[in-house]
Amino acid sequence: MEAVLAIAIGVLTASGVWLILRPRTFQVIIGLSLVSYAVNLFIYAMGRLRVDAPALTGAEQAGAASLSDPVPQALVLTAIVISFAMTALMLVVLLAARGLTGTDHVDGEDGE
Amino acid sequence: MKLALADHLIVAPVLLPLAASALMLLFDERQRKAKSFVSLLTVLALLAVALILFQRVVSAGFDGGPAASAYHLGNWPAPFGIVLVVDWLSGLMLLVTSILAVTSLVYSLSRWERAGPRFHALFLLQLMGLNGAFLTGDIFNLFVFFEVLLAASYGLLLHGSGPARVKAGLHYVSINIMTSLLFLIGAGMIYGVTGTLNMADLALRIPLVQGADLALLQSGIAVLGVAFLVKAGMWPLGFWLPATYAAAVPPVAALFAILSKVGIYALMRVYLLLFGGKVGWTANFGEEWLLYGGLATMAFGTIGLLAARTLSRLAGYSVIVSSGTLLASLGVGQGAVLAGALFYLVSSTLGLSAFYLLLELIERRDTDPGVRAVVEPVFEDEDTDALEEGESEVGVVIPVTIAILGGGFLFCALLLAGMPPLSGFVAKFAIMHGVMGLGRDISAAAWTLVALLIISGLATIVATSRAGIDLIWTPSDRPQPVLRLWEAIPVGLLLLICLGLMIFAGPVMRYMERTGRSLQDRDGYIHAVLPAESMAHRESQP
Amino acid sequence: MWAILLLPFAGSLAAALLPTTSRNAAALLAGAIALLCVGSLAMLYPAVAGGDAIRSELEWMPAFGLDLLIRLDGLTWVFAFLVLAIGFLVVLYARYYMATEDPVPRFFSFLLAFMGSMLGLVLSGNLIQLVFFWELTSLFSFLLIGYWHHNESARSGARIALLVTAAGGMCLLVGVLLIGRIVGSYDLDAVLAAADRIKGSALYLPALIFILIGAFTKSAQFPFHFWLPHAMGAPTPVSAYLHSATMVKAGIFVLIRLWPVLAGTDAWYLIVTTTGLATLLVGAWAAIFQQDLKGLLAYSTISHLGLITLLLGLGSPLAAVAAIFHTLNHATFKASLFMAVGIVDHETGTRDLRRLSGLYRFMPFTATLAMVAAAAMAGVPLLNGFLSKEMFLAEALENHRGTIIDEALPFIATTALALSVLYSVRFIHQGFFGPAPTGLPREPHEAPFWMRLPVEVLVLACLVVGIMPSVTIGPFLHMAVESVLGDATPRYSLAIWHGFTRPLALSVAALIFGGVGYAIFRDRLNAFTAVPLMGRLKGRRSFEVVLALIVSGARRLLALTGTGKLQPQLRLLVIIACLAGLLPFLRYGYEPGDRPGVLVDPGFALIWLVGCLCAIGAAWQAKFHRYAALILMAGAGLASCVSFVWLSAPDLALTQLLVEGVTTVLLLLGLRWLPQRHPEMLPRTRRLSPYRLRRGFDLGIAIAAGAGIALLSYAVMTRPLPNSIAGFFLENAYPGGGGKNVVNVILVDFRAFDTLGEITVLATVGLTVFSLLRRFRPAVESVRAPEQQRVQNAFDDRSEGREVGDTRADYLAIPRIIMQWLSPVILVFAVYLLVRGHDLPGGGFAAGVTMTLALLLQYMAFGTRGVEARLRVRPMSWVGLGLLIAVATGAGAWLFGYPFLTSAFGYADILVIGKVPLASALLFDVGVFLVVIGATALILTVLAHQSIRTPLTRPRSDAEPEAGEL
Repeated sequence: MEAVLAIAIGVLTASGVWLILRPRTFQVIIGLSLVSYAVNLFIYAMGRLRVDAPALTGAEQAGAASLSDPVPQALVLTAIVISFAMTALMLVVLLAARGLTGTDHVDGEDGE
Repeated sequence: MKLALADHLIVAPVLLPLAASALMLLFDERQRKAKSFVSLLTVLALLAVALILFQRVVSAGFDGGPAASAYHLGNWPAPFGIVLVVDWLSGLMLLVTSILAVTSLVYSLSRWERAGPRFHALFLLQLMGLNGAFLTGDIFNLFVFFEVLLAASYGLLLHGSGPARVKAGLHYVSINIMTSLLFLIGAGMIYGVTGTLNMADLALRIPLVQGADLALLQSGIAVLGVAFLVKAGMWPLGFWLPATYAAAVPPVAALFAILSKVGIYALMRVYLLLFGGKVGWTANFGEEWLLYGGLATMAFGTIGLLAARTLSRLAGYSVIVSSGTLLASLGVGQGAVLAGALFYLVSSTLGLSAFYLLLELIERRDTDPGVRAVVEPVFEDEDTDALEEGESEVGVVIPVTIAILGGGFLFCALLLAGMPPLSGFVAKFAIMHGVMGLGRDISAAAWTLVALLIISGLATIVATSRAGIDLIWTPSDRPQPVLRLWEAIPVGLLLLICLGLMIFAGPVMRYMERTGRSLQDRDGYIHAVLPAESMAHRESQP
Repeated sequence: MWAILLLPFAGSLAAALLPTTSRNAAALLAGAIALLCVGSLAMLYPAVAGGDAIRSELEWMPAFGLDLLIRLDGLTWVFAFLVLAIGFLVVLYARYYMATEDPVPRFFSFLLAFMGSMLGLVLSGNLIQLVFFWELTSLFSFLLIGYWHHNESARSGARIALLVTAAGGMCLLVGVLLIGRIVGSYDLDAVLAAADRIKGSALYLPALIFILIGAFTKSAQFPFHFWLPHAMGAPTPVSAYLHSATMVKAGIFVLIRLWPVLAGTDAWYLIVTTTGLATLLVGAWAAIFQQDLKGLLAYSTISHLGLITLLLGLGSPLAAVAAIFHTLNHATFKASLFMAVGIVDHETGTRDLRRLSGLYRFMPFTATLAMVAAAAMAGVPLLNGFLSKEMFLAEALENHRGTIIDEALPFIATTALALSVLYSVRFIHQGFFGPAPTGLPREPHEAPFWMRLPVEVLVLACLVVGIMPSVTIGPFLHMAVESVLGDATPRYSLAIWHGFTRPLALSVAALIFGGVGYAIFRDRLNAFTAVPLMGRLKGRRSFEVVLALIVSGARRLLALTGTGKLQPQLRLLVIIACLAGLLPFLRYGYEPGDRPGVLVDPGFALIWLVGCLCAIGAAWQAKFHRYAALILMAGAGLASCVSFVWLSAPDLALTQLLVEGVTTVLLLLGLRWLPQRHPEMLPRTRRLSPYRLRRGFDLGIAIAAGAGIALLSYAVMTRPLPNSIAGFFLENAYPGGGGKNVVNVILVDFRAFDTLGEITVLATVGLTVFSLLRRFRPAVESVRAPEQQRVQNAFDDRSEGREVGDTRADYLAIPRIIMQWLSPVILVFAVYLLVRGHDLPGGGFAAGVTMTLALLLQYMAFGTRGVEARLRVRPMSWVGLGLLIAVATGAGAWLFGYPFLTSAFGYADILVIGKVPLASALLFDVGVFLVVIGATALILTVLAHQSIRTPLTRPRSDAEPEAGEL
């Protein structure tokens, strides 16, 4: 399981990074979202993996040990929200750039 | 535990601007007067709060008591809940921030706030982010506030729109999003290895990390460090900085002068807290990287200064130089240098801010302000109220404009070049004194640092004298610039403060000394944050 | 004593505030201040004459052992007196020299400030303070030289002077710091006491070199001399002041001051003596070829400074005496000469020796004065110049080190003196004798009395000192010498007549050679426009060439070391991050942990097989098939979503799913504004190898990054969990936070501050998007309505009985109804999510996004205008309200004296029962909920609005691209 997830994170990151290094704004934004997926999984993984042990305590104290680590989940939730916001912002900025510079090249001029 | 009302003051620097900007969202677009009023009020209140907190630190600290005081949000005990900490360093940073806030805001009121919608809300949110970043004692919370201040800075950078800003914005945004992802990775790994996020707690746990975990922890911290260095604009991660600052409208750029220092602050805080101690591998971890990176940055900034074609670029590279100087002095890394570095940080930040405010006034004569860059409206409901009344005279137009501009420019140049009579000289002297005082004989690195300090200073003189002579002394048929009183006053204020720093260098330096020392004694900070028993419990572990 | 130091600065401030026209007031002020200072200085004389130094301290930076310290001893007294007295005369002179149209107050303000900094330099009792004022003199000399900044020569001259002297100042600073490091204090007395320690130290040589560079730049020693002649663009009073008594003497002063601690070593001897010699010769040689009177004086100044430096270099006490003495003499006669030239310039309108002649008959007084002063410069007996020159020659004849320099010194000295005689004679003879001048700009006549007075005073001084030295200058000189040399003070006599000595012979020879030389060469000298032998190394030209080279070099270097493009920057960022992450492993090695892993589930693996394929596909397609790439990306997102469910993180799964949806919609809305792109559009160059190379490189980086993070995560996942803070949360979530869903409790209680920040980010981004899109400029080709609509409208046009837009009105009729019914259901679901969030997966954020989706459906169904016609969409205020609620909830705790964000549930038992009906955390969550709706809705709607904003260019028509796209 760990291995699978690790590989998944790796692949997501790799394809994201590849896109980030491309010259077109749309590629960059897709790349950023892919990397942020990877990072979310990564943070989650920092709490180690648990199967069917959601971080829900019953009123009667379930032994803490049996639950999955809630902290990374909380962090990921925050991270998800923020990265969503950033994606939105990025999108708008690139639209504006495309409008004002007349191209969707990241440096505002065509032809590398 | 219960708290007196005064104790809640620590959160005010974060909540005040947040509440104020939230309030402004309820206002209608057009009520500019009201908004200006509210934000001015808020900023002044912030200044007051900062002063009180600062004064508290000073009075507590110089009586030998613990200067650092923690505020446990949600009333949860320390390593679990989030804490805000006011100590020597954060108190100082808060004060500087609020000063810049006041001056930049006042300056903006005379025209720039009209360059686009929702200026004030963004401005205040920016302040909230900065203050939060300076106050928090929790790694992940630091990330959150980095995001707040970044998000706001995106907004402010794009304020006024126009191709140049959007282009710069695109770069700035994409680089910083990437950086934030790095931050997350770093923070995540630190948690994964140590199982905590609270800085003080980390400082206790890190020395206990053993074996192969070390590699993981270190690489996590290194990645985190890269994120900070991007903020600080270290070569070769800081190319975005001059272009970005040059694109922003002057008051925003003037506020951004502190932005690059946030990275430096984070480095000082995290780095010195976690590795200040001289235990095992944590001693001086990565110090040389800071040193060489800083030196490279200084060199790069100097080259940029000499190559700069416009004043705003010149200012941008001065920012780089000052970051480089700070990084290098951190890397050289003894207390003596730390004090000087902190003094330099304050003085150069104020000076740069003043410079950014000033240069637009100077260039206003020939290059018409960037606001005009916005082309004719294409849509009916286009928001184009930017400039028409932007031209309307706010405040008195000063007659002896050139003299004032010249004087101001001269002082800024001296400040940045580290020449008397302003604080730049003391700052430079303090750093050199510290560097040369180190060790038995002066190391090659120390010599390089000194040399670069000198050379960068000279480069500043070369560049500024060229620009100043061309823009101010050379007779031309340019129209007399219109200078409004309320644009001149902030600049004057900043320069005055720098003069004050020079005159009262003694007490100021004493403060910096204490700050430097407090950064090095980690226990003081840890004691202030964590409950005593948890410390004892931790120490008993190994 | 502090008054002496502060008065000039105060005066300069006052003068600066005077109106530009009030010349008399400014002059009066300046004069009065100068006089006052002279007076108070004179009153201090008796105290100083005793031989010990007066000190007065003000605490400044104790941390660095730095106090503001005035130290007044013999030497400083004499220098200070020179500065002030000549300063006063210059003020008087300037009052009549400056033209009425000049903004005189500014001039006097600068002059006073300069006087003050010069005083400060002389009086400062610690070295740092000295450097401080040193730099100030550079600064104000810059302002003075550039006073007439409307003409180019003044500007460039000022800049050169500033750069050279400021650079020197910085070197001086370093040198002084080194001294401080050696001695352990910057206090002058301490330093003077530590002579042996300094000379013995390993840092002596660097310190010496840095200090010497400082001194040489300031007092225009070869090869730094070139700034001085160019400073002649300054008004003559300025030259008279800067180049006689003050600016250039600052360097000399430092040399004399530190003479006891630095002089006497071989290094000192070699460097200083040779520099002095070179300067002496170069200056004298260049001086004889000058056609401009001020140029002549400038170079003669250089050569005299060289002479003084040479004397100091010799290192014998007597030489030092001679140096001090000559410093004083030079100050007097050079000041008077400059003023005289100024008068000539003022009255005739030119300073060109070739045009001037026979002025004697027009201005006898001035001529006489000039003659006497020039004679003093040439070293004619009965004038002060003669005495110090004799001393100099005597020293020249002494053997000091037995080096080649010693052997050559007498001849070199004589030659130099002969040259100085030559240019003095030339100056006088061509200027004042011969036929009446023709074609001068102005009709020459005698200068007004007040303008001549200063010159007269100075010349008188030359005479008196020259005739009866021992009674006039004697005591002062002795005082100065003693304060420097202390017990080492040699016996010397100031008598005019020592009998027929070798020095006398030499000076006679010099006089004769000089006179004869002039007689022979006078006419040929006039022919020269440039200085022979030195025409090559024109200081200023080469200086500016060097500057230009530096700048252009910097530009090239900048292009090399920096970039303005985005891709290289991101590339660097990723690479450096990878390296940073990698390095520690090189030191400690990489090993996975031993934690028993969760066994692999094929389903999970399958999901990720698909997910990875999606990701790669997205990377593949993003360039040409944006839509496909978008869907693939969403696929990858779904995979991670499912794996969250799998790995028992329901909240994450839920949130991820919702965000997924919104993001996709957002990007779809954006797609419309991006340009068309097809493979065939590519320019041919793309196929070339550098392009391939870069792609390959990037691929490498990408794979490295991916592998790196994969390995990291694997290593962490396979390690046992450290005793983390999580345990506390699990235990206290219910008792302390009143919620069963620990994750949610963390979000709204334990770490609610994070959440507060997070929603702030959301709000800020909403604002940014909003204000940016207010100025949105679509590219021209995408302004037109999307194709689908055009087709529909065209169809309406063609078919009779249909209004334009009917088709689009019926378009998506069925889905619209479904969506209409769906919305309320979703609304309810959203509220449900919100309320249950504390105990089961859900919470404010999830609820908010769901709500937004509902709103979105409405927009799709009825179109932007349709929706907004029915319900008022005011996202901005929702955001504001939400933030306020969140803050207020948190601040509520204050009322009970608890820290911000303390949840009410936590202490319900402490409080009056029923104080808070529901866990305040829930209220906080409501705030989150509102902000999320507001911000998301804001972003979506603003983006959607772009399509219905009607360009001014074309007639209004409702376009609903999102209806078209989805």
